Amino acid sequence: MSKALLYLLFTTYATATVGYLVHLVWRRAIIARMSLALIAAGVLLQTGLLGHRWWLAGYLPVTNLFATLFFFSWALALIYLYFELRYRIRATGLFVMLLNLILLGGALPRDTSVSALIPALDTPLFSLHIIFSFIGYAFFAMAFSIGVLYLCQTRMKSEMLPDLPTLRRINEEAIFLGFGLFTLCMIAGSIWAHIAWGHWFSWNIKSVWSVLVWMFYAGMCHAKFIRRWQGGVYAWLSIAGFGVVLFTYLGIGLLLESNHPLE
Amino acid sequence: MAYLDQQSKSLWQRLWNFGCSLKLAIALASAATILIMGGSLVMHFNPAIFASMEQETMSRWLPQAWAQAPKLVFWVPLSGLCVLLFAINTLCCLIDWLCKIKARWRKTGEYLIHAGFILLVIAYIWGNISGFRSGPHRIFPGERIAIPEMPGYALQLDEFTPRVEPSGRPLDMINRVSLWKNQEPVAKALVRINHPLIYDGLVILPTSFGQELQGFRFHMPSRGLVDLMAGSRLPISPEITLEVRRLLPDARQNSQGRVMQVGSRLNNPAMQLSLSGPTGQLWEGWYFLRSPLPKALKEAGVFLRPIEPINKTFSLLTINRDPGDKVALAGSIFISIGVIFAFFSFYRKRAQGDRPEV
Ligand code: HEM
Repeated sequence: MSKALLYLLFTTYATATVGYLVHLVWRRAIIARMSLALIAAGVLLQTGLLGHRWWLAGYLPVTNLFATLFFFSWALALIYLYFELRYRIRATGLFVMLLNLILLGGALPRDTSVSALIPALDTPLFSLHIIFSFIGYAFFAMAFSIGVLYLCQTRMKSEMLPDLPTLRRINEEAIFLGFGLFTLCMIAGSIWAHIAWGHWFSWNIKSVWSVLVWMFYAGMCHAKFIRRWQGGVYAWLSIAGFGVVLFTYLGIGLLLESNHPLE
Repeated sequence: MAYLDQQSKSLWQRLWNFGCSLKLAIALASAATILIMGGSLVMHFNPAIFASMEQETMSRWLPQAWAQAPKLVFWVPLSGLCVLLFAINTLCCLIDWLCKIKARWRKTGEYLIHAGFILLVIAYIWGNISGFRSGPHRIFPGERIAIPEMPGYALQLDEFTPRVEPSGRPLDMINRVSLWKNQEPVAKALVRINHPLIYDGLVILPTSFGQELQGFRFHMPSRGLVDLMAGSRLPISPEITLEVRRLLPDARQNSQGRVMQVGSRLNNPAMQLSLSGPTGQLWEGWYFLRSPLPKALKEAGVFLRPIEPINKTFSLLTINRDPGDKVALAGSIFISIGVIFAFFSFYRKRAQGDRPEV
């Protein structure tokens, strides 16, 4: 993948983020609209780059940290577009896109080359496992951003941000959709583990933490029914949940040297 | 009497409500989550205890790990108990819903997800109590080994072809295997990475492969190339025969002159040879292939120059049995369909304001 295109993508998202910031200060709708257009253009470019890498490699390239960060960032931008078009959450984009810039920024200095697929990963179950996992993670990242905004909004009561009930709805929806997709990721992963290692659940640290992520968000699908937890507690839980996601995705690989193929 | 009846009924009702309680579910799930979070770190920093966890079923691993370090292992049964109670809690919830099923068709997704989770817990317990994990087993092509955990069953490796890149990186391991039951073949398959043989809960998969030293190729001035392996007999003259007794890939001689095997990799190979004549054994001794030929051999006119080792490739196959795998698959299918249903019903329920509040 050309680094120039990668930097162009980063600049597009960065400009959109700055646009949202300007919109927040000057309150010009046109700037917000331009930011949205930039994000849409960025998503198109990123989809093209991802498709091109897929075509070049002959498999969905999500086998190293560059590729997973890139895919994660793409999924988050896409999900932001979905929520923006559905709920018109404008200034919320500032925070989501900041998170996206961190993901993409983490990918920028890394090696972009695609290597040959190792035989153990050469199965559609692996691709499904990864696609569902990172789209699920992206929904959890969205929920995290909304959770933080919910807490800000409780204090700021800003007109530029969606009202609390809308933020709550979006948060619950992001958690629910993320949980559903992450469930499918776990199922594809278990079937793959069964045919690759002969047991569908492995007691290795990465698998154990993936189950923890799943249990946590299953819990969150229910926590919204508890009247006293709706709103603030739920927002804090979304933030904590994303901490568990980050530890599972990055922390284990960086801090604990696990042998999972994706770190 | 009526008062007592009512009291026991309400006690039963309260117990049932407690079993169905969402708060209990959250408490149990949180307890399991915290225990497993801490436990996973204990696991990571104590590989001596936990490394074998993946190679064994829980019912075999837990007692031995407990005997070694109960303080490091206690979280495993405790979190297991929480998950079990959580599954019972889910079951109560599900039964409670099913009793009021009439108005609840739009909750099919949730029913399936909850039922699927219960099936997964049952499958895990069943598989880990009555299943086994064995191997990796070293099998040479043409060899048949019994599966001791399943009397009457045997696994035969009919053919083995490792696929290796020119750089030496292993690409795949292609095993043509057959499974035998009471001397009858019951299943045949081409087993390779991500393509196991699955039969009656058994999963047979390739783990790795290796080579075992079978013999050595030598050059003899009078005859050219000769292959010698354990058991080979080579006539040297009409009277004298050379016999290979043993071959060790890595051997060492101790101070008393005894030769011992040090390892199984080719390093310091040694052959135990004997010379016999019409009157019986003339000489017996060890020939370390990296050292000069023993004098007795030279005197008998045996001049051997080692050229290359002769190896035989073996496959390493793992044999696992998980009788709960079909239940787990059913659970996964339930959950997957449930999730797809729930994706749609979520929006419908939300539009209608249909959700429980506690
Ligand atoms: C790991 C186990 C469980 C999983 C994966 C799970 C998953 C789910 C999901 C995805 C939903 C749909 C949420 C929504 O519509 O937004 C749900 C709803 C629900 N679950 Fe669970 N659940 C589990 C265990 C339990 C347990 C133990 C209970 C009861 C104590 C329970 C009670 C409920 C209730 C009451 C609902 C609401 C259904 C409705 O809309 O009326 N769940 N669950």
